[in-house]
Amino acid sequence: MKPLPSTSSKTPVKFRMPTSENLVPIRLDIEVDGQRFKDAFTWNLSDPDSEISVFAKRTQKDLKLPLAFATQIAQSIQTQLTEFRSYQGQEMLTGEKIVPIKLDLRVNHTLIKDQFLWDFNNFDSDPEEFAKTFCNDLGIEDPEVGPAVAFAIREQLYEIAIQSVATARESRNAKKGRRGEYSSISSRSTGAALDLMKLFSNRYSVVRKRKEWDVYEPMVDILSNEEVNALESMEERKPR
Amino acid sequence: MASLEPPAAVTPPSSKPNLLPLPSPTIITPSAAALAAVAPTTSSSSPATLSVATPLPTPSDAELVHIPSYSRWFSLDGISECEIRCLPEFFDSRSPSRNPRAYKYIRDSIIKQFRRNPSSKITFTEVRKTLAADVISIRRVFDFLDAWGLINYSPAALSKPLKWEEKDSKTSQHAADSPAGPSSDSTPPVRETTKWLCGSCKSVCSIACFASDKCDLTLCARCFVRGNYRVGLSSSDFRRVEISDEMKTDWTEKETMQLLEAVMHYGDDWKKVAQHVGGRSEKDCITHFIKLPMGEKLAGSAEFGSGINKLNQMKDDNSSNSSSSGKRLCLSPLADASNPIMAQAAFLSALAGTAVAEAAAQAAVTAVSKVGHGEANAHFRSLHGVQGLQNASITSNGSNKLKSSEEARSGVNTMPEEKVNVEEELRTVAMVQMKHIQEKIIHFEEIDSQIDKEWKQMEQMRDILFYDQLNLLKHERSIRKTGQQAAEGTRAG
Repeated sequence: MKPLPSTSSKTPVKFRMPTSENLVPIRLDIEVDGQRFKDAFTWNLSDPDSEISVFAKRTQKDLKLPLAFATQIAQSIQTQLTEFRSYQGQEMLTGEKIVPIKLDLRVNHTLIKDQFLWDFNNFDSDPEEFAKTFCNDLGIEDPEVGPAVAFAIREQLYEIAIQSVATARESRNAKKGRRGEYSSISSRSTGAALDLMKLFSNRYSVVRKRKEWDVYEPMVDILSNEEVNALESMEERKPR
Repeated sequence: MASLEPPAAVTPPSSKPNLLPLPSPTIITPSAAALAAVAPTTSSSSPATLSVATPLPTPSDAELVHIPSYSRWFSLDGISECEIRCLPEFFDSRSPSRNPRAYKYIRDSIIKQFRRNPSSKITFTEVRKTLAADVISIRRVFDFLDAWGLINYSPAALSKPLKWEEKDSKTSQHAADSPAGPSSDSTPPVRETTKWLCGSCKSVCSIACFASDKCDLTLCARCFVRGNYRVGLSSSDFRRVEISDEMKTDWTEKETMQLLEAVMHYGDDWKKVAQHVGGRSEKDCITHFIKLPMGEKLAGSAEFGSGINKLNQMKDDNSSNSSSSGKRLCLSPLADASNPIMAQAAFLSALAGTAVAEAAAQAAVTAVSKVGHGEANAHFRSLHGVQGLQNASITSNGSNKLKSSEEARSGVNTMPEEKVNVEEELRTVAMVQMKHIQEKIIHFEEIDSQIDKEWKQMEQMRDILFYDQLNLLKHERSIRKTGQQAAEGTRAG
């Protein structure tokens, strides 16, 4: 496993998902003939592409969707995978990067709101484990919540990774010009804890301020049917 | 609680009572009724016990989960050799996300989810929504469990005895080294010699199957191509088995009648005939038609192409009571006649019932009277359509005449007299046929002479044209000459 870089963290690292498993979050939102299919799952990059069509067909058959869905699903997965792969060769800057992860999702009847900090640099991290513990601790019965939580975490990590690739590219270009200083990544001398403090403008202790407790507390809400319907109709109206 | 089904056609002592320790949360001791013993039952003292259930599980035991006997190695506690072999990617530490712990997590959650509602089949998509893992791993494990009957296995679904099932029921006894297919439980192994059922997609093989002797497997062509066979087999282990359609059924009387009808209607259009018969290919129809008893006669009298039509017309008119045996009987007196005309005539007479002939005679009497050398052309144009009627009318006339004469003599027809009548009729029929041929010959001669005339006309035309051409050339030349002379004259002068 990769050792955690401590001081020499300016060295760029090859792009990958900062988790123990290099899984890609895939989101599907396909509409065919008025039927909308939304889904989100994780895909292992090391699987051959032949699996895509098999999976698409399987999903279409299991859910009894019309045939057109299978090809669309396969296409969508393929594009997202190629996008991911296009980032793969590039470098991204890591370092002492603690990122806030926000959860704000609705799975069937369960509404979850949460915020926490995630060590982006920890390539051993496992969103799935986190999700499992999360559900167990909060006593969530719906088994679909776990994977949804893991997926949300993964998605956000993915976006941050993309961002860091972009900043790495910028920095490379900027290096040619001048020596750049990057705000959240630069200070190395003091160590992780103090970085945190700097990050969250708390200079005196590592313990969180009381008023911020609410923000970082998970909130789980079980909705009734009507509320679910109302939310669904709102969500559908938004992208249109 | 899980229970086993005994493999069919296996002696009871060999099926050992297998203990599958399943620490499932709901433990229900099976009722005594469910223990119709083929093998000795195990006691329910230990928390996880097994019992051998009846072939048809009673619906009251909703908690019973069935798994096939070849999956008896399975246990929720650990990972067995079979799993390691079938899903090596989880155990070879090639990928960090695929490790035994993850495999166990996926497998256990799938099984638990299925067992929560064992009567309904669980789909892959339901499962993957609830598992925090990458979908391909989930799919592999799901397929593995499905193939081994650890999930989505319900004995009611396996009521059809599959060909390779019976063979496998013997081999599945031995250790699960070579993965075997599902064994039939309730129904006794019935060997269907005519039908082949594919082992994996469970459809009837029609065109060709692939049978493997190594593992006693039968796959339809599609599954074979797709590679839907078990681990350990390769494509070379399969041999091709052709299934021809002729073997399936013989031609029934109804089909034969349909065929004859169709031939009568459509003649040589075998595509339509095949359509009409239904269920037979063109080739089948043709071969069967040829094989029919009267086929030879028809093939022999090829020049009477129209004769075939009218023959079938009569056949059609006759009720289906005229069996082939009846035809043969009637054919016998003149069947070996060297003259094809006689043979045809004999045939026609046998088929034409008097009622039919009389009905046709009413319509055709006028046409017959019109037959004469002067009216040859008009007659022959309608020859094909009317010939049949004429024949019938002639025979009917003949038979009518005979009948009337008979009535004049005596009112009772005895057997020998009838025979004589039949012979008379045959003679008249033969005479009529000969007359027809004569008229035909005359007709053709006339056509011949007409053609000769036209030919001569054409030749004359040709000659005339030739003369014209010559004249033109001459004219042209003379003009040119005069033109040249005139030109010379002007130049000189």
